[in-house]
Amino acid sequence: MAAWDLSVTVEDLGPDTPPVTLSVTSDLHVGGVILKLVEKTQIKRDWSDHALWWEQKQRWLLRTAWTLEKYGIHADARLVFMPQHKPLKLGLPNGITLRLRACFSNPVFQTVIGICRMLNIRHPEELSLLRPLEEKKKKKDKDSTVEIYDLTEVPLSSVSRPCLYNGMPAHFADSPQMEAIYKMLSVTQPPPAPEVIAKQYRPASVVDKAHINGRWLDSSRCLMQQGIQENDKLWLRFKYFAFYDIEPKYDVVRLTQLYEQARWAILLEDIDCTEEEMMLFGALQYHISKVSQSEPQLLSSSAAMDDLESALQSLEVKMEGESSSASEMLENMTAPELNDYLKIFRPKRLTLKGYKQYWFKFQDTSISYFKSKEESIGEPIQQINLKGCEVAPDVNMAAQKFLIRLLIPAPEGMNEVYLRCENEQQYAQWMAACRLASKGKSLADSSYQSEIQSIHSFLAMQKTNSGSHGNAAASDESINTHSLVSPRYHKKYKAKQLTPRILDAYQNVAQFSLTEAVMRFLQIWQALPDFGLSYVVVRFKGSRKDEVLGIAPNRLIRIDLGVGDVVKTWRYNNMKQWNVNWDIKQMAIEFEGNVNIAFSCVTADCKIVHEFIGGYIFMSTRSREKSDTLNEELFHKLTGGHEAL
Amino acid sequence: IINNHYEEIDAPSAEEDSDKEDQDLDKMFGAWLGELDKLTQSLDDGRPEQSPQQKAPLRQETNMANFSYRFSIYNINEALNQGENVDLDALMADLCSIEQELSTINTKPNSAGGMARLGLTDTKVHTHTHACTQISVYNFCCCCHCVCVQEEQAAKLKAENIRVALEKIKEAQVKKLVIRVHLSDESSKTMMVDERQTVRQVLDSLLEKSHCGYSPDWSLVETINELQMERIFEDHENLVENLLNWTRDSQNRLMFTERIEKYALFKNPQNYLLGRKETCEMAERNKEALLEECFGGSSVSVPEMEGVLWLKEDGKKSWKKRYFLLRASGIYYVPKGKAKASRDLVCFLQLDHVNVYHGQDYKSKYKAPTDYCMVLKHPQIQKKSQYIKYLCCDDVRTLQQWINSIRIAKYGKQLYINFQEAMRRTEAAYDWSSLSSSSIKSGSSSSSLPESQSNHSSQSDSGVSEMTSAGHTRSQSVVSSIFSDAWRRGTQGEV
Repeated sequence: MAAWDLSVTVEDLGPDTPPVTLSVTSDLHVGGVILKLVEKTQIKRDWSDHALWWEQKQRWLLRTAWTLEKYGIHADARLVFMPQHKPLKLGLPNGITLRLRACFSNPVFQTVIGICRMLNIRHPEELSLLRPLEEKKKKKDKDSTVEIYDLTEVPLSSVSRPCLYNGMPAHFADSPQMEAIYKMLSVTQPPPAPEVIAKQYRPASVVDKAHINGRWLDSSRCLMQQGIQENDKLWLRFKYFAFYDIEPKYDVVRLTQLYEQARWAILLEDIDCTEEEMMLFGALQYHISKVSQSEPQLLSSSAAMDDLESALQSLEVKMEGESSSASEMLENMTAPELNDYLKIFRPKRLTLKGYKQYWFKFQDTSISYFKSKEESIGEPIQQINLKGCEVAPDVNMAAQKFLIRLLIPAPEGMNEVYLRCENEQQYAQWMAACRLASKGKSLADSSYQSEIQSIHSFLAMQKTNSGSHGNAAASDESINTHSLVSPRYHKKYKAKQLTPRILDAYQNVAQFSLTEAVMRFLQIWQALPDFGLSYVVVRFKGSRKDEVLGIAPNRLIRIDLGVGDVVKTWRYNNMKQWNVNWDIKQMAIEFEGNVNIAFSCVTADCKIVHEFIGGYIFMSTRSREKSDTLNEELFHKLTGGHEAL
Repeated sequence: IINNHYEEIDAPSAEEDSDKEDQDLDKMFGAWLGELDKLTQSLDDGRPEQSPQQKAPLRQETNMANFSYRFSIYNINEALNQGENVDLDALMADLCSIEQELSTINTKPNSAGGMARLGLTDTKVHTHTHACTQISVYNFCCCCHCVCVQEEQAAKLKAENIRVALEKIKEAQVKKLVIRVHLSDESSKTMMVDERQTVRQVLDSLLEKSHCGYSPDWSLVETINELQMERIFEDHENLVENLLNWTRDSQNRLMFTERIEKYALFKNPQNYLLGRKETCEMAERNKEALLEECFGGSSVSVPEMEGVLWLKEDGKKSWKKRYFLLRASGIYYVPKGKAKASRDLVCFLQLDHVNVYHGQDYKSKYKAPTDYCMVLKHPQIQKKSQYIKYLCCDDVRTLQQWINSIRIAKYGKQLYINFQEAMRRTEAAYDWSSLSSSSIKSGSSSSSLPESQSNHSSQSDSGVSEMTSAGHTRSQSVVSSIFSDAWRRGTQGEV
């Protein structure tokens, strides 16, 4: 067979070095070419990650047993010999940018699996990569370069064998710097300054939201094929909003990043919510940031959980806790009381009397009051059981107003009672007692002290807000409440107006642990009506105007752009089949009962829409299989289209 | 001596007794009266400062203990006034089963017993429960007065059982309530529930006693006559807690009846979860998939309910239209002149503190546009109040969709768990009934029966083994201990 010249550029030799020319025959296999090439460069190094990239055809020559003839390579082919793993700048949901080595030769689906394995995120199938928004280059922003945390030194071999050391993957335990990066991944970020939120791009309409979905990379093709270069920046985001088997013990990074993505979605109004919901989200963010600052032992504590002994110990404690009703009884018996002079006012009573002072006694879940301390041995003027009542704060630090508003259910309706306290200390004690009593817990409950603490810390927050203004530095106690809500509310309320509203919502979450609070945040996020909807602008067959298709984990919805209403819903459950006509870029879906729809995609490639639908169907199969191994083949079958098969 | 009597009257033996002694019933009650009077006295003697008559000198806005006191008195009194037969036999059976349960609890850890004794000394909580125990005694006394006849030897055993049972109850500090359950045929049943029992447990024991055929639709329904509204208690709710919201003079009723709307949501989920306007059919496997999708995940999404409803204006008889939306965080409405964007919605109410009731005949009561009304109120509110919110739907379908969606928003996955549990009970009941047509015996009595037979066969054994077997049968049912007692007496007579 005739020999001919094949020229190969070796990337490691530098851009100015001319290609290496090899004399080959068409029946030489790719492995042979590489061998010849390496011999000719006379460089001794580990070439195992290197492979040949065929520039004109935009494909890797990964099958080393295939011959040049089988690949269809002739003398005019421009081949590049380069590593399959290259550095990539990766923006995480929490806003941090990493630099790490990602695979440029496998389908993006596998690249994401590799990245997630390095970062210790389970269920990588729920995430994907997308091209970031172009950052507007402003002159004043030039000097403020984003810090990039480097993970490129992590040996690829250690990533493929994940083993936990001290609760984190071994490669993070190597040095204090690496440990610091892992902490960045697994601990929530402090609330952003209000100006930072205001500066970020916010989608103003459904169409704006639809545009972001045109940026997802194709999971069935590799990074090189999609024009991604070494050191390019990509975003890693949760793409499929069907979160499988969240286990706080193993999912520290996953939960943290999910929380961050949800938090930003709410702060930037990527997902709509009501004012009440926004206040609750704000309260949870405040609580999460506070607890994560005071609980820096998150990593080691979860690491300790891996230890069998400590796991058993915690089990013991748990069981003791469950069977401790007898000891609880004992605790109740010696129940502490609160005794003090307070002022009471009943707004609904038709009397013109204002606040009157009495001697108050808080015992068990009831408040009783007497004319004076001396008369407290006798019968009280009234006894009020607070079980099941609503408690609301009415506090103004500047005016030294400490009011507890009680709404007490009674057969005749709700009784409104205000209790006025003299100072912060008294207020915190009585407020905490009221809060516990409303849930049927007495002062003896173990959460009483922490309840008092959380009331104090929130009062402190109001103090700093009403005091020196504009200092956005988030020290551990003071947070500008504007950091917790979307810019819409920056305009609507001043920080000191916002504080009592968030305080109100905060009462119901103050007792949560960090994990509980994060889980609660995610739960409320998932319960929003628009949760999980990814929008694409489409043109339905036979229609003359653009409409929006919303893709949810369980259904497709058609939204009229003019009115903004949902016109029609189709559920995957009654979907029979879907087809893509790649030539005319049209999707056709058939549902049970002879329902057929067809549309072309405007703001995203129809591969993206196809992948979304197939991906969600793939996600729904996971619960049935119950195995830990990811059925990659099935994913590609459902999402790849004819190209992959 | 008392400690050796770990006895229980279970359903079959109680029936047997009542058959035999039907005519002697009156006499028996007399015996109880005597015993119980003694008991109350002895209790009072022990702790004179806590006698029930001195209870509640305080003016209290809401006092649970007081309510339970009033409540049980009310029920018994009402029954007596109407001259109905109070099913005291059944009550006693309840008491006895409670006693047995307690004896098994108490014999387990020594420390628990110690705690219980400690608990008797003082403090608010304990006085309450203590009072309740005595109240039950008191109830027995007052009804026994009405049917009072002379003492009778045969009844002494029962009275003794009750006494032991009551003492055990007192020891365990469990609050008991004598309740009256109305059946759909205008009859009623009196039974005892303890404060820990869920609605499901009470339903189970009612079903077991009433032989009315299992179905997941059996419900306990609270009807508030004064407000003309009712609510089906959810299976996971605590019954006593709910009943304690009733006032002393309450005309409220607790109904035991079959309600298809209780679990209609799960039988035809397509009519509730998909936000469709029209009723439709769905294949069973699709229903299952739909339920799994909605309730199987980590978070339950609330059905998208929205639309125009009529809202009764505070204090007026007029109703005005508003566009309402249901979200997981509460019920909202769209303010006038605004689009229904989430951020512009006004919160109508949050669901944490309110329950949803079905308003009845509001067309004539409140001039409602239709009779398809729902009411949202705090469970403790029992009288007309501005804090009660009335909403009216155009048709029954919309009403049912709203009520069920609110239930989902309030209880989430728990609702589905309740349904699955109810279905399991129904299936189990069918399995049982195929084995025997009679009532189902309790697991403990049937399992201990073989042991009592082995006692009989060991007739010729020495006294030593007899002792050990007696010690062994401590926790056994009344059947076995009655047998062994009789047998012991019999052998003694022989010797």
